[in-house]
Amino acid sequence: MTFFTKKRLVILAIVIVCGLILGRLVPRAILNALLGGALFGGDVL
Amino acid sequence: MFVLICIGAFVGAFALSNAIHLAYANYLTREYRVNWSDEVGTVRTDLAYGEGDAQKYDLYLPADSSKDSYGLIVYLHAGGFTTGDKSGDAETLEYFCSLGYVTAGINYTLASEENHASVYTQSEEIKAAVPQVVEKARELGYNVDRMAMAGGSAGGALALIYAYRDADEAPAPVRMVFEAVGPSSFYPEDWTSYGTDQSPEAAAALFSAMRGEAVDPDILGTPAYDELMKPISPLLWVEEDTVPTVMAYGKYDRVQPYAASVRLDRALTEAGVDHAYIVCEHSGHGLQNDLAEGVRYNETVNDYLDRYMAS
Repeated sequence: MTFFTKKRLVILAIVIVCGLILGRLVPRAILNALLGGALFGGDVL
Repeated sequence: MFVLICIGAFVGAFALSNAIHLAYANYLTREYRVNWSDEVGTVRTDLAYGEGDAQKYDLYLPADSSKDSYGLIVYLHAGGFTTGDKSGDAETLEYFCSLGYVTAGINYTLASEENHASVYTQSEEIKAAVPQVVEKARELGYNVDRMAMAGGSAGGALALIYAYRDADEAPAPVRMVFEAVGPSSFYPEDWTSYGTDQSPEAAAALFSAMRGEAVDPDILGTPAYDELMKPISPLLWVEEDTVPTVMAYGKYDRVQPYAASVRLDRALTEAGVDHAYIVCEHSGHGLQNDLAEGVRYNETVNDYLDRYMAS
């Protein structure tokens, strides 16, 4: 019985896609907050 | 085991996504960095222009000292008038020096609760420093006969003030100014993120601190207010012979108001002043979400330097 079943591969792919998207969005949100961007209106600064 | 693999894959993908974006940003700005060495130029640091602790400047001199004359670019640091240092702009100063300009980063006394520093006193410090910078450059064999003012945020405001208010008294003709996200006027209806549109007292308190003189809430919106704020309001100095200007602003800026930049753009347009107004549609004060517009700002600055700072 193989370790990477079809179901596990699909889950892994979803996790990787989520990582790629969040890896772009989370730093952008933090920067926006710190640098007076769209999120939180920059009130963090 | 599979859960651990998923966690590792998530962390790896998260980091990769970040790395790709940083690499892309570095790629876009690669032309605007230089490997600083004696072959490019030399730097004299912490030269004094006054007796205050902060009253120092760094002077970057091109390696080629054989020209008859040089353009000077003064770049003033950011920091909300309360923090920051000229050393933070070393990369920018080195880059412009590599193009053959004498460049200078000037510190000014940062406003704090202990001192009476304000935007006005800081602008007066810059005004006092510039002749000494030019004199020092000439003393070192670089005949400065034209100059450009520049800066970011607070430094952008101070650069605009010098270029618009003090150019007539400059030791060399001020040919242009370029800046990003510098406040250029102080109207309560613009500075809404500080509650100035809700409370005249809040507006008066904020603008008093910037001006360095008490602002009576009752004069807000009157000609007397404009007169009081004029010494620190580049907008109010715009006229047909105002120097060419390159400026960049973020539409979501809440540190200083985007609306003020719209006023400045309109005033420059109405006065027929050659200017470039770059709006970063998705960014705040850091212009952080519009990399392409950031590059356009750099390209436009270089284009204006070619046009107005040529000997």
